[in-house]
Amino acid sequence: MRDLPTGPELRALADEWAAKVHTLSPDEQPVALAMIERCRAIAEREAAAGDAALVPMRAALAALYDRGGDADLARLAADIRAGKFDARGLARQRVRELLWSLTLQKLREGNPRFLAAHGID
Amino acid sequence: MLTSPEAHRTLAAFLATASDATAVEITSAIRLSGGSVQESWRIELAASGGVLASEPRLVLRADAPTQLAASRSRVEEFALLRAAHAAGVRVPEPLFCCTEPGLLGRPFFLMRWAPGTANGAALARDAAWNGRRDGLVTELGQQLAHIHGIAPPRPDLGFLGTPPADSAAVRLALYRRWLDGFEDPHPVAEWALRWLLQEKPAPAGVVLCHGDFRTGNFLVTEDGISAILDWEFAEWGDPHEDIGWLCCKSWRFGILDREVGGLGDRTMLYRAYESAGGQPVDPLRARYYEVMASLRWLILALQQRERFRRGGERSLDLALTGRRPSECEFELLRLIERAEQGE
Repeated sequence: MRDLPTGPELRALADEWAAKVHTLSPDEQPVALAMIERCRAIAEREAAAGDAALVPMRAALAALYDRGGDADLARLAADIRAGKFDARGLARQRVRELLWSLTLQKLREGNPRFLAAHGID
Repeated sequence: MLTSPEAHRTLAAFLATASDATAVEITSAIRLSGGSVQESWRIELAASGGVLASEPRLVLRADAPTQLAASRSRVEEFALLRAAHAAGVRVPEPLFCCTEPGLLGRPFFLMRWAPGTANGAALARDAAWNGRRDGLVTELGQQLAHIHGIAPPRPDLGFLGTPPADSAAVRLALYRRWLDGFEDPHPVAEWALRWLLQEKPAPAGVVLCHGDFRTGNFLVTEDGISAILDWEFAEWGDPHEDIGWLCCKSWRFGILDREVGGLGDRTMLYRAYESAGGQPVDPLRARYYEVMASLRWLILALQQRERFRRGGERSLDLALTGRRPSECEFELLRLIERAEQGE
């Protein structure tokens, strides 16, 4: 339910670059340091949020399908593609709300400043 | 690719032949920042005789080690620049193209240096540009109208293929294929693609679409726009496609209320575009293509992510771009919801 690269992958990449950032030009170093910081911040926010942050989305998925796991996310994508939620009505509204929940959670962990710019905590 | 003295000598020999110079010396080659899709190098040179005798600086464009699926080759980008330059679009004049990959390891071309900044964040945010942004929006409308004045048939742009009867359908089919190439599910992208399929407008006549016409892809001096850059995504298409891309929220650099690339008002863009010869802008059609733009940027971000995950490029920028799709998802959900509410 989270975007890739994973938090641990981002942390490992940040560590890799932190060890060699001194080899970059003076112009490049601040940019690289900012990106290193951002990788670490995303990883930390994800780790802090943990699986608990995904519980509401899993519950919403489970209401649509069986278990509410990642497999059901693939099923949801396939059903949207097949037009199962095209008709205006409660089912479409529920899916829309679920998609909003998934997206907002990813932004809380990946880019809270984006949400703040839109007036969302 | 231009880090060794041998590479400098090879490039100098190529330039001497291409420009009819008796001798060319490369005094420096510096890779320019940005351009995660292609490489750009600033070349400082001293030429004796020939057409480069009074040209101290050029730009070399070369393919990046790995390519995006939709990215045009340097040879094709060179031809596009020639067509745009001839049509009066402000572009760096293209000079020489080398199709021989053995020379520097990859095909490349050279163009004249154009002054200015492409720093989109600065243009959108810095106080130094206050009072000048409306002028830039007007110029963008004019430049876009000039670009869209290039229409098929164009044998010199034959690599663009047969002009599509329904360019939106072609784009959506492409995005379908691209989405199918990712292992992980993307339900919001599916939501948007489904909406785009259902709301697709009737086909219109096609023109040359720049394909990446946005803040950050043009150079600006105190006198205004000096060059439109990065033609690697050009296609035949609906002119509203470029308008939608320019107005896509991803290119506003946080200045959300300035819908035209963080610079200014949409109405001003439309007016300048139409005054410069562009076809009348249909606002609803432009909104449709703005949704398409957010979907496209979502997919391009995923493709950049794959360069990190599968292409072996250990780039911080590429990895972090893999975390940008949720911003597009936010915008897709918002735009589609507004459209369904009739706003």
